[in-house]
Amino acid sequence: MQGSDAYRIRPSHQDKFKPAIVKECIREIMREQLSGVQYDPENVQELSKSLGDCIKDKVKTLGLDRYKLVVQVVIGEQRGQGVMMSLKCLWDADIDNYAEDVFKNDSLFCLVAVFGSYYY
Amino acid sequence: MHSEKKITKEDTWRTADLRRHIRENVYDGGHMRKKDDNERKHRGGESTERRHRDPEESRQDRDKLRERESTRERKDGDNRDRYAAHSSKDRGKESSQDRRGDKHRDRRDDRDRERRRQADDRENRDKRPDREETRDRERHRDKHKEKERIRDREKHTDEDRDKRREERDRNHRSERRRHEERGKERRDETENQHKEHRDRRHRDDYEDKRKEKDSQQRHGDRNHSEQKEERDFLISEYKEEHRRHREERERRHKDRGHHDEKQRHESDPRKHQELKLPDENVRYSHGERAVRDKNKERWKKEEEDVDRRYKERKHREEEGLEKIHQERTSSKKLSSDESPRHEKKEEKTEGNNDEDLAEQEYEDDFEDYEDDFDEVDASADEGENEKDSVVEDDKEKLTAQQSKEIESIQRAMAEENERAVTTQSRQSMSRKEEDGLKQPKDSEKNQIKVSKHGKFMNFVAAKQREVSKKVATKQKKRSTELLRLIDLDFSMTFPLLDLPPVSEYEMYIRNFGNANTKQAYVQCNEDNVDQDIQSEEIEVCEKWTQHPPEHIGACGDPNLSQEARDKTRSELNFDSQHLTSFLHSASQVILVLLEEDQAERKSLRNLKNQKESLSFSDGSLQLNTKLPFLLGRQISLVHFSQVQKHTMLSVHLPTAKASAVRLDSSTIICIWNIWEPSRPQKILLYESEVQCCCFSPGKSTLVFAGTSVGSVVLWDLREQTSNHYSLKIGEEEWTFRQPTFSTDAVMAGSGHFSSVTSVEVVSSTVARGLSSEVPFLASEEESSGLSFQLASLDESGVLNFWVVLELPKGNEAGSPTDLGLRPGGKVKLLHSSSLLTADRTRDASKTGQMQTLLLKFLPTDSNHFFIGTNLGLVSHGTSHGLKAPPKSYRFQEVEERPVDISSISFSPFRPHLFLVGCGDGSIRLHAVSQDQPVAEWRSATAGEPVVSLQWAQTRPAVFCVLDAASNLYIWDLLESDAQPVVTERMSADRVTAVSVFGDSGQQNTYSGVALAHESGRLELHYFTRSFTAASSAEEEKLESLLTEAV
Repeated sequence: MQGSDAYRIRPSHQDKFKPAIVKECIREIMREQLSGVQYDPENVQELSKSLGDCIKDKVKTLGLDRYKLVVQVVIGEQRGQGVMMSLKCLWDADIDNYAEDVFKNDSLFCLVAVFGSYYY
Repeated sequence: MHSEKKITKEDTWRTADLRRHIRENVYDGGHMRKKDDNERKHRGGESTERRHRDPEESRQDRDKLRERESTRERKDGDNRDRYAAHSSKDRGKESSQDRRGDKHRDRRDDRDRERRRQADDRENRDKRPDREETRDRERHRDKHKEKERIRDREKHTDEDRDKRREERDRNHRSERRRHEERGKERRDETENQHKEHRDRRHRDDYEDKRKEKDSQQRHGDRNHSEQKEERDFLISEYKEEHRRHREERERRHKDRGHHDEKQRHESDPRKHQELKLPDENVRYSHGERAVRDKNKERWKKEEEDVDRRYKERKHREEEGLEKIHQERTSSKKLSSDESPRHEKKEEKTEGNNDEDLAEQEYEDDFEDYEDDFDEVDASADEGENEKDSVVEDDKEKLTAQQSKEIESIQRAMAEENERAVTTQSRQSMSRKEEDGLKQPKDSEKNQIKVSKHGKFMNFVAAKQREVSKKVATKQKKRSTELLRLIDLDFSMTFPLLDLPPVSEYEMYIRNFGNANTKQAYVQCNEDNVDQDIQSEEIEVCEKWTQHPPEHIGACGDPNLSQEARDKTRSELNFDSQHLTSFLHSASQVILVLLEEDQAERKSLRNLKNQKESLSFSDGSLQLNTKLPFLLGRQISLVHFSQVQKHTMLSVHLPTAKASAVRLDSSTIICIWNIWEPSRPQKILLYESEVQCCCFSPGKSTLVFAGTSVGSVVLWDLREQTSNHYSLKIGEEEWTFRQPTFSTDAVMAGSGHFSSVTSVEVVSSTVARGLSSEVPFLASEEESSGLSFQLASLDESGVLNFWVVLELPKGNEAGSPTDLGLRPGGKVKLLHSSSLLTADRTRDASKTGQMQTLLLKFLPTDSNHFFIGTNLGLVSHGTSHGLKAPPKSYRFQEVEERPVDISSISFSPFRPHLFLVGCGDGSIRLHAVSQDQPVAEWRSATAGEPVVSLQWAQTRPAVFCVLDAASNLYIWDLLESDAQPVVTERMSADRVTAVSVFGDSGQQNTYSGVALAHESGRLELHYFTRSFTAASSAEEEKLESLLTEAV
């Protein structure tokens, strides 16, 4: 009825979410902000927020057009406990993707996962 | 049917509800939204219907309209001025102005339709414009009356409303509204608009202003910068009138539509506006005052109404029943939607006084509504549309979205109308009656009440809902379309982080493991990392030790030091052997010379003295025996070497007296050089008593001795002084030499078991020589080295022969096999043979036990030995070979007597002659070949036993005899063969031992006798010239004696 819209349902190849590049970003920022940082339960909330924002901004500069970005930051203290995290997604596996990186030092571990979901 | 429909429509047309919606929209957005949702559902279901109702031919027109309106809406803020122009235009053309009424286009559309219908109906009215004004006035009056009526009725119904609740309330209101003039509704609309404007950030204020301007323009002096609400009322009031005017204008417009169009084309919109202004002002001025009054009244009422409605709303909210809400909302919508129609109906009733007919028409024509509208629109609105478009075309570009919005809002309204029809049809019956009852009252009611109800319609909510719904549907559509293309799938589970738990130990190690420790690796010998090279080499070295440390050292090194020592020794041999040997001999010579010199000077004096004492003495020499260790010792034996005539030994017996030196129990043997009388050359030491002594043949390097314990010992005089025990006595240091070899207990089986009486050297080389070849022999012996035999005789007659052996090299550590050999000693004795010399054939009972007392070997033949016995006999034997006659030598008269043979002496010049001295004082001269003596002197010593008897060394016919009474007799056979020529009696200091010495050398012939005195004094007396110088007659004398005896 309405003139059939020409939807762009696939990003061009160079606009795709490339985990390797994003992972580089994550790693760089984590290394900048976390190296030598001691776990402090009072500051860690702020730290995780700022880290998440920083990474989000950085990833945005990569020009992932029409990608909805979700940045998840988990910072935990290292006290010899076991931690297991995993994810499962319902998404379009062709386009949507995620990148994650883990940073560890003596007192804390930090996991950052960036999800990119294409906005059709 | 007809009435029913009318009633329902009236029911749904409730301004109060609308207003409430608006309020809700203002004050309670959340609640509103909920309602919106509900409504949206309804509408969503009906939207298709709506579409059906949108005939395609009408759509374009409507779109156009919508476009225009929406763009106007959008650009209100920007185009304030324009609105003025528009409004002026609108005033000229009512329909267009209505359309510009913003949100209420739908309604306006409806109205337009109605109007068109009315226009159709009242074509006659249009044709008589003059009458209109009067009619308007009438209408005004009617309206006033009606309003009053409505207010009254409202008051009445308000009371009821509390009891009868909503539906009835709605009925009342709708009834009232039914009787209200169209303008009132119109005012409500505008009020709603105002609300909306306020809600929407006053976006739509412009419209109000525009309308105000309109009114201003219309009413000239009216100041519209009053309070808004007042304005609203005024405006609404005005609009009631305005609506009427609009109708008129519509009619007029239709008449002059073409003309206007042309005008528009030609003139500027503003001009156009201005141009029209005066007309309008003239037109509207007459109803102005009445309207204002009414407005004031209404305004008060309205405020009350608002409050009341608030309460109601709250109450309803408390009930919270959704269904009711739905109903309510739907009814409200319906009411709001239907209000325009109702107005139109009222218009119709006014115009035709036949509402029912109009309603019927409406219902009948419902389906044709759109068509009509479109047609009318197309025809009647064409002009104004075009006019608008001319005005706005360049400024307002209508987008599809806006048009859609408009469309959707229209749709929603239509839907709500329909819903209202369906939902409220049930209540129609009761309402009909009520309506019927109330209709007359309604007119009487207060206008204020009416105005309250008709004020609000929730256009904002509707629009919002519509917009959001629009978006949602769009997105839904989009998603449905896209979902077909896109496959969503569950990704597999990605592990994000896996941090295994750390055990306590690992934790500890991580925290403290390397806290205080550091691992380091050190290699000292950096080049040699191999294991095999780690240890250093072990140095091995052999050492020995000796206890007691008697010579060179207590320890030594068999390898290195031995070699070094050998080396040095060999060097010494090369360098200093000759020197030492030279020095050895030279020193002796020099010493002797010095001694001689000294002694000669002494002897010159002494000799004078001695001459006085001793008749035969030509001079005397005293050996220094006044040494501490010799003090008090008796000299038992004095012996001269046969080869080295100046070398003498003296045996000092152990003494009972205590002395400073602890050598009392030992026998000391002193070796003297007669030319060096001051001190003995060497001092030999032996633990027990020494019976007999002798020098080695040749050079006097060895001293042999037989001891009273039956052992034979020897001293090597060549041994170094340092190897022997030295003792410092006084200021001088004396070396006491221990025996080099001793048979003590070593050769017990082959040794002697009684005291050794005599030791004699068996010279093998001497055997053939007879006369004076001794020096030659001696030298020969010397050259041939030490290879001779030693014979020892003990008291029991056992004659032992010993071989003297010189070892090439002495063993410092001592010999393990030769236990008798002193460490470092080089000369030892080997037992050669043993011979029993005692004659067993002899009758022992008759003569008693024979003792062997002396042993002598024939100087010319050592095979023959002569042994003196205690029987006065000298037995003759040979060591090997045939026995030689005579068997023994005896006295002249008797065969044998128990007399000890004390001395045997062979003549140095005639070796076959020998003298025998006996214990009874007799002296015999024997020839070897005869057992009878040549001569015999029976009382030569006056019966005293002969102690010693010796031939003189330089004269063959002279011999001297010492008897036990210390008488010394010198015989000179040449002078007298019956008695001694000299008899010397030394009673003062008894002479215990005597020995004759002398050298028959060519240049220095001397002869003498050594006298050992009891006191230990040792004197050397030189014979006088008469006893020294030999003459040729002596040997003849001896021959004659021999012949005489035979």
